[in-house]
Amino acid sequence: MSKPALPSLHQALKKSFHSLENNQRIWKSVLVECGPLMVSLENLAEQSRALSNVQISNTPLRDFPELEERLRFKLLKSTDTVLFKLNEKMSSLQSVRDSICNQVSAVFQLYEQNSDSVDLLTLTERSAATPSVSDMLEWLQDAERHYRQQFVRRKTLLQTLRADDLSALEAAPKRWKSIECPSAEDQITDTLCKVSFFIDS
Amino acid sequence: MEGQSSDITANSANRKSSAVTGSARKIKDNAADWHNLMMRWEKLNDEGFSEATNIVNIRLSRSTGDQMLQVDGSPSSSSSSSAASSSQQTGGAAELQDKCSKLKDIVDRMVAVVTKMERLMTSQRGIQELEEFQFGPEGRKFPLFHTWNTKQFEDSSRVLLDSYRQELRLKQTILQEVAHTATSDLCMVYLSCWLHQPYVPTETRLTLEALLLETGHRPL
Repeated sequence: MSKPALPSLHQALKKSFHSLENNQRIWKSVLVECGPLMVSLENLAEQSRALSNVQISNTPLRDFPELEERLRFKLLKSTDTVLFKLNEKMSSLQSVRDSICNQVSAVFQLYEQNSDSVDLLTLTERSAATPSVSDMLEWLQDAERHYRQQFVRRKTLLQTLRADDLSALEAAPKRWKSIECPSAEDQITDTLCKVSFFIDS
Repeated sequence: MEGQSSDITANSANRKSSAVTGSARKIKDNAADWHNLMMRWEKLNDEGFSEATNIVNIRLSRSTGDQMLQVDGSPSSSSSSSAASSSQQTGGAAELQDKCSKLKDIVDRMVAVVTKMERLMTSQRGIQELEEFQFGPEGRKFPLFHTWNTKQFEDSSRVLLDSYRQELRLKQTILQEVAHTATSDLCMVYLSCWLHQPYVPTETRLTLEALLLETGHRPL
């Protein structure tokens, strides 16, 4: 009974790891694009703060009508544009997360449908080139959890940012960086290495 | 942007083929000139911003150097180090002077752009006066292009010219002051004024696009 279920499970696992590999690449590239945007948020916040610290009426710029209001408006507008771009990046990250979640839950569904017919021995059996099904399911679940957590944390950070909340904007790049979890990211890369023979077979 | 600007300069070829003549011809050419001048302004603005940033960086690093010198103690106590730092300062001063003259060149070119804009305005007013002479105070019955009457072209030209005139004044003030400012906040305000152009609101771009659309430079 266990024989016909195993190849289809293997097939589904291969597909999931392929998709994980692609999605990891997309995720990384989106994060790289977010870096400069975060820095420009900080930069704009610094400019706004400098503007608040300066009493325009005591400077050579005093003769310019509405200068402070106009400049502040432009700064807010630029900040809004950057925040908008970041939100666009978030939707790319969201689609990566969704794609991974869908893949993983499809594999688990398939496993549960066949769980009666696949015995424990088959599930835990592994060879030099093929890790056991139970290990691979676990790795997939770990990866899925990582991306889900990462996405929620980043999304939450972005939602706390307002164009007029300067200290939050100034702290944004640091907080954005602190969300990074290189060990989990490395774990996923490790996993992909472990299954590389399996997914190419 | 580059593609767009070349789009319109390439219009000299279209000029012969299109049948537009007289006031309409003049207005259409003026619209293209507005576009090209505004593009040139943007380019100068970018160049000027990097020069102004250089000036501020030199200026701020020198002022922290001065402070360090004061913290060190009296300059007479260690003559060799003060001599070294003063030679460094004159080096910095020459560099500062160099950057300032580069920024001045850029502002001079901006002045030239605004002068050309003023000429466009004069030409637009001339067209308006000619029309009043030809058709009386109500102007012509049928619009030259799609819907605008001649007065509207003059109005939009004035909106554009006023923005750039005021922005130019701001740039000239920044040019005079930026190298003499030691407080980092004020330097930052100068730079952000230069970059964000508070007197050139986003609507100017819209006004220009409307002008280009009406005169047929942009397809409807």
